[in-house]
Amino acid sequence: MATRVITVDRNTRPGVSPILLGMALTFKNMWNTLFRRQASTIQFPEEKRVTSGRYRGVHLLTVREDDTPKCVACYMCATACPAECIYIESGERPEKTIEKYPTRFEIDLLRCVYCGFCVDACPEEAIFMSRENDLVGTTREELIIDRDRLIERGKLAEFGPGYRPSDHDVRRPVRIAALERLKTEHGIVPGMPRR
Amino acid sequence: MPKCTIDGKEIEVPQGTTVIQAALKLGIHVPHFCWHPDLAVDGNCRMCLVEIEKMPKLQIACNTSVTEGMVVRTNGEKAVQAHRTTLEFLLVNHPIDCPVCDQAGECYLQDQYMDHGLHDSEVELEEKVRKRKVVDLGPIMLDAERCVLCSRCLRFERDVTGTNCLEFVNRGDHMQIATFENRPITHNYAGNLADVCPVGALLSHDFRFKMRVWFLEDTDSVCPGCSTGCNVSVDRRDGEVQRLRPRRNVEVNKSWMCDIGRALYKDIAVPERVSGARLRGDGPWQGVRLAAALDAIAAWFKGAGKAAGLVASPQATNEDLFAFRSLADVVGARLDFRVGDPQLKVWVRSDNVLLREDRNPNTQGCLDLGLDREGIPEILAACDAGLVRALLLQGPELLRLPEAAPALDKVPFIAVMATHEGPELARAHAVLPAALWAEVEGTFTNHQRRVQRLKKAVPPPGEARPGWELASGLVRRLGGSFGAATAREVFGLLVHAVPDYAGLDYKVLGSNGRALAAGEGTAAALEARV
Repeated sequence: MATRVITVDRNTRPGVSPILLGMALTFKNMWNTLFRRQASTIQFPEEKRVTSGRYRGVHLLTVREDDTPKCVACYMCATACPAECIYIESGERPEKTIEKYPTRFEIDLLRCVYCGFCVDACPEEAIFMSRENDLVGTTREELIIDRDRLIERGKLAEFGPGYRPSDHDVRRPVRIAALERLKTEHGIVPGMPRR
Repeated sequence: MPKCTIDGKEIEVPQGTTVIQAALKLGIHVPHFCWHPDLAVDGNCRMCLVEIEKMPKLQIACNTSVTEGMVVRTNGEKAVQAHRTTLEFLLVNHPIDCPVCDQAGECYLQDQYMDHGLHDSEVELEEKVRKRKVVDLGPIMLDAERCVLCSRCLRFERDVTGTNCLEFVNRGDHMQIATFENRPITHNYAGNLADVCPVGALLSHDFRFKMRVWFLEDTDSVCPGCSTGCNVSVDRRDGEVQRLRPRRNVEVNKSWMCDIGRALYKDIAVPERVSGARLRGDGPWQGVRLAAALDAIAAWFKGAGKAAGLVASPQATNEDLFAFRSLADVVGARLDFRVGDPQLKVWVRSDNVLLREDRNPNTQGCLDLGLDREGIPEILAACDAGLVRALLLQGPELLRLPEAAPALDKVPFIAVMATHEGPELARAHAVLPAALWAEVEGTFTNHQRRVQRLKKAVPPPGEARPGWELASGLVRRLGGSFGAATAREVFGLLVHAVPDYAGLDYKVLGSNGRALAAGEGTAAALEARV
């Protein structure tokens, strides 16, 4: 193919009007922030950004009626996980109806890419995501969260549940331990976020 | 030899070949449950229905012999509809608990549902007939709900082991397999039941809930448990062996292997493995780098000259043995391998399935390489007389022999290549870390004189090296030359040196090995005579 030459006209003169328009926006924001208290930013961490009900934050594990994890250790989430951050070890439960449960269930939140594939892959509605997004740890080990911490998501009260199968996809009722305690102990039912 | 056409492809097969076998030869997969290449035909699952021209009804491919001019269609509309209907019947009472079933990923039901079924179940989960679950049969777990009643396990028990442990009980929807009074299965071939079961009804107790099979990668290898040399697949994940599975070789083990062999993977990743070299002068043990240990051993052997002894091990691969023999030739040392009695029983069967008395995988290789030179009693006598100044052992077997202890105590320097720690190693003066069978490339020669390939499945621990590398390191340090840097090249040298192995290389051996002519005095020849 023959080479084509495109001539670009760079001989444009800068006008004054774009600068003035830009500065007008800057001054408007300054005015709103200083005198009308309508800031575009928020005062994190005192203030938190409101997120959607489908927000993909830190995971949580749901439980059965007897407070044991709903997870049957099928490894579907670990198989679907593109970051390979889920580690499961399975064991045998004495009840013959359930048989298998996770003796270890760990998620390396530093490796996790928060894609939500684990939630999509789960055949038992056992793994959800919460809207928790201010994840802080002082060591790497702290951010590898284990089975019991995934069930007792302490900060759930603050953020509420996030990405999970839609209600019409849920075949059986699902219990989230932290949410129930929130309701019984504090009388709070986290609804969909204000917008 | 009748000629037939399957799905438009023509093939000529021996008289008596069934349609399913002919199709398999053409690479056409006919869906099936009850048919197994190494079991008698039963024809009960009705899954392998195919259309055959001039026959009014569909025929089962597993029990229809090919006749001249037969035209078969496996994927016609009628056959596909039949596959779908049969599958729907098989799934009527199936619990569909794939997430907790260990068979998921290698399950015929799952695969064929994906290929042929894809229907919505007409039977609600609550309406299904409940059967016994989680029944512990010793090495096997039975889940009767998942069973498709194909009777493969029954036929295995009847034809292969002759134990008849399993039987059908009840009738109709309530039919299930069971052992008498739920007694455990005690024979040595129970693991095969989990392999022959096309679904998750019979599962291995050992592998239970350990790993999902789709995470596993397999490597072809040979079982080191006895002189039969069963072909196996080494299933591993992240450098750790998770299980052994038999690999089909009609000439050796068909599709079976024994439970003793199946458990051998447990010796691979254990804390007792020797992972580094160590030396002992007069004082306590000192860990040293491998090169330093080889230097020290070479110095002792230089000092000893012809007053040295070498004891090979029938646990070693042919490559290890050849390098060891080269070392003996360089040193001019006494050489033998026959420690203990069982090696003389290389062809003696322990049972009438697979296991043999000689629990060494490569006794025949030792014989073929001419390692039966001086005789262990003679070497021990020389030790006793103080004629052996340095002794190198390819395995710790001799150190375990109580009657050898007084003679060995008179040898000033004993070096041993060891894979596992043990009290016997305290008798040695130098320990070299050796790689285990699953960690090396190599070959074993079984009792039939079949040379079979082992492939490296996992890396050896620490500084452990294959036996031939250790031996060739000593050859070079003692001024000899060893013109091979890989196991493949060592085998090349071996083929040149041993006339019986002429014409072989790793490519010729392939995945199922190559049988040599049964030579005079070999186990196979002896067995033929017996």
